[in-house]
Amino acid sequence: MTQRTDEPDPAREDANALSRRRFLKGAGEVAAGGVIASGLIGATARTAAGSASAAEVETLAGEVDIELTINGAKQTLKVEPRTTLLSALRNHCSPTLTGTKLVCDRGNCGACTVIVDGSPRYACLQLAVDLRGKEIRTIEGLATGDELTPLQDEFCKQDALMCGFCTPGFLMSITAALEKKPNCSLEEVKQSCAGNVCRCGTYPHIFTAALAAGKRMGGR
Amino acid sequence: MQDEPKTDVPTWPKRADLKVLNHDLVRVDAREKVTGKARYTHDIRVAGMVYARLLLAPVPALSIKKLDLSAALKVHGVVGAVVLEGKRTRWLGEPIAAIAATTPERAEDGLRAIVLEYETEGFVVDEAQALAPDAPKVHAKEAKVTTDGDRAKADAACAAAAHVIDEIYSVPVQHHACLETHGVVVDYEGGEEATVYCSTQATFSFAGDAAEELGLKANRVTGIVEHMGGGFGSKFGLGAEGMAACRLSKAVKRPVHLMMTRRDEFLAAGNRSGGKVRLKLAASADGKLVGMTAERKKFGGVGDGSMTKLPFVYSVEEAFSSTVPVYTNLDSNRAMRAPGYPQGAFAMESALDELAYKVGVDPLAMRITNLKDAVWHRHLKRVAQEIGWDAHPHKTKPGDPNATDCIGIGFGIARWGGGGGEGTEVEVRIEKDGSVTASVGTQDLGTGTRTYVAAITAEEFGLKLADVTARIGSTKLGRATGSGGSTTTGSLAPAVKVAAYNAAKALRAKLAPVFGVAAARIEFKDGQVRDSQGEKPVITWKQACGMLPAEGLSATGEWSRAANKSLAATGVHGAQAAKVRVDTRTGRVQVLEMIAMQDCGLPLNRISVVSQTNGGMIQALSYALHEERLIDSELGIMLNPSFESYKVSGSLEMPMMRTIIDDEDERGVIGVAEATCIPGHSAIANAVFNACGARVRDLPLTPDKILAALGKVV
Repeated sequence: MTQRTDEPDPAREDANALSRRRFLKGAGEVAAGGVIASGLIGATARTAAGSASAAEVETLAGEVDIELTINGAKQTLKVEPRTTLLSALRNHCSPTLTGTKLVCDRGNCGACTVIVDGSPRYACLQLAVDLRGKEIRTIEGLATGDELTPLQDEFCKQDALMCGFCTPGFLMSITAALEKKPNCSLEEVKQSCAGNVCRCGTYPHIFTAALAAGKRMGGR
Repeated sequence: MQDEPKTDVPTWPKRADLKVLNHDLVRVDAREKVTGKARYTHDIRVAGMVYARLLLAPVPALSIKKLDLSAALKVHGVVGAVVLEGKRTRWLGEPIAAIAATTPERAEDGLRAIVLEYETEGFVVDEAQALAPDAPKVHAKEAKVTTDGDRAKADAACAAAAHVIDEIYSVPVQHHACLETHGVVVDYEGGEEATVYCSTQATFSFAGDAAEELGLKANRVTGIVEHMGGGFGSKFGLGAEGMAACRLSKAVKRPVHLMMTRRDEFLAAGNRSGGKVRLKLAASADGKLVGMTAERKKFGGVGDGSMTKLPFVYSVEEAFSSTVPVYTNLDSNRAMRAPGYPQGAFAMESALDELAYKVGVDPLAMRITNLKDAVWHRHLKRVAQEIGWDAHPHKTKPGDPNATDCIGIGFGIARWGGGGGEGTEVEVRIEKDGSVTASVGTQDLGTGTRTYVAAITAEEFGLKLADVTARIGSTKLGRATGSGGSTTTGSLAPAVKVAAYNAAKALRAKLAPVFGVAAARIEFKDGQVRDSQGEKPVITWKQACGMLPAEGLSATGEWSRAANKSLAATGVHGAQAAKVRVDTRTGRVQVLEMIAMQDCGLPLNRISVVSQTNGGMIQALSYALHEERLIDSELGIMLNPSFESYKVSGSLEMPMMRTIIDDEDERGVIGVAEATCIPGHSAIANAVFNACGARVRDLPLTPDKILAALGKVV
């Protein structure tokens, strides 16, 4: 039977991190409430060590400089505590990393999927300040020079893209799955991208590409 | 155009001789798209750029008592704001103001600080409200009723018929849900010139509008559409968002990036109109359609809505339709992939199916009996064979709703006109080093135009696809028509072919004296240039181009009636079959398999035709099972302006899919986008009935409706 896929995948919510969704809840629905009218929104964030101890909780406000590790390179950028990872990548990095797409900005579509410490994450639901000390991989970091990954290459060969706007998100979700288990079954491939939406309707081609790439990555 | 001069017009090579076209090609922009390098309008970043947001009308009709931007302008980072409508709005989501700030977050802060005080005026948002005797008027004009056919004759034919059904079929408002929302970047800081990036289906239609809004000359404004993230009919022209960005840019003298939010997109970026048809359909004892009357309503908000003529593709002896738009205070419908067809087709395909079971003939035979064009017979028989119709246990009666596994099969028909028109000019350049460029300002919506611009050119010169560079998406290149109604291929492909042909002819003329043979004997094949008689030594393409002068060679080509006649055609056919499983305990429908057979003349890139056809089926599947705009009648607000509540099909809903290209169609090129999204939802609804006897006449086919149709809930 089919399942509803429009709810965020709990597996993608890092239990220890302060997700944007929870932050917004805690802040009394800032997005909908319309009470805060400047860029000076404070946020409470975990320290880089991510310890649960209350003593190590830090409070950030205004513009802050943070260091993020994106595609293996450290980069310092100026963000507000409320700045999402998605906004940080697209608008605050230098040069901007616009391969990660903004589509819904609320964890419904997967277009902004990136890989954080090996697991897929919606960049729109992560606060940039929470990503300090973590390894962030974006679509720009998949290929090695001109050499595409097997999944990227199979996406090209199987015509697994049309307009291409959802493509980076699908690639990141499925890459994370195949790196953990190259011999994914069709059902596992479908599950791995169940949180991604494609409007042009490339799904069957994406599945074929993922299975072919899995084989090339050592799967059976 | 009977006196058109005789021109030298190319033809496509025989299909067996094609080396690039009619093959599975890797898109020329695939690498850019899988590496995140493809630059969409939303990805444009220019120095000094600010981000803008729109303030939309929060209720369906209002008069503004106070609109005060002063607090917003004091918000940290806000650089400017403009009023778009200061008095009165008449549809939910109509833009009122726009604001720009140094980051998107600050633009949103500014938006929240705008003071808008208003009085809600009387509004209507659904059919019952709109048709009430004292309903507030949406437009000064009255809704115009149009009719087609002779009502008395149609009524008489229905009255005398052996079998008749009389039912109401309806479809909801569907959203385009382009993943890249509507948006624009206006690169203007004052002065005489501007560059405007726009997510659009028509490169050449927005730059002029932007020039007017900026107060510049049209020839000083460049329009750019490198890549665009889906349009499906909703992205023509600059739009209110583009106008707002121009006005902001002019006001703050900085480049402005305005991309609609997902919520904005649902409220104010168009939709496929809903529809309701009371359809009386009558057949003779042997299943021949003899009479039809249709009373049709279109729900296009402040727009007129659209619905294709009935009886759609079928032949009915006496048919009558009346059609009326039902206006509401909601966003206007826009063109959406096969405008009007999925709506009309659903009523007709459902009614015909229902009637087949009543007559006692199988729905496949019923269709064949009432379709004149034999191409559809062939397509229907093939998809029926592929999906296992012959061995299917129940063809003239639905399956047992109490069975553990209710499997059903249903069918639907595809048709579209397509064809091309004038207004496309292509340049093909050959450089002295052998590199080749085909340039035209057209846009690629994800349909693969960029790839076939290169492929047609490569084919002409006996080169590989990778040997040709396609440049598109700019008003600095040759003009091109907008992409609507599956007309891009019919307009663009002939123009590219003519340009490449003219360039090849010019190159032959240059090489003839070198080879010492007549120009006509020189052929380009497999990366080589040779004498077709085999008397002269073969040289490589590169060597041949090395003989060109320093400036290389270029030629142009444009769409003409003669080229169109030789290279393109009009009118596509298709049939689709769906197999579903219905869980009659929960009412859930799972689509197991969908098969399409589609003709499209010469397939320029086979795998892309398959992609687009699968895509059409998937959009129809989503329309069948999930999609529906929900408006609260009392409050007049949209209840599901996000992807968490407006569901679009995802990976877990995907059936096994197969597209069969009809290779018996030997015509020239024809666009194939629209046709493929017309039959799927009807085929699925018909398959649900075939599975278990649940006839749902109102999309989407949600579990509650299935259970209600089975009499399990009321």
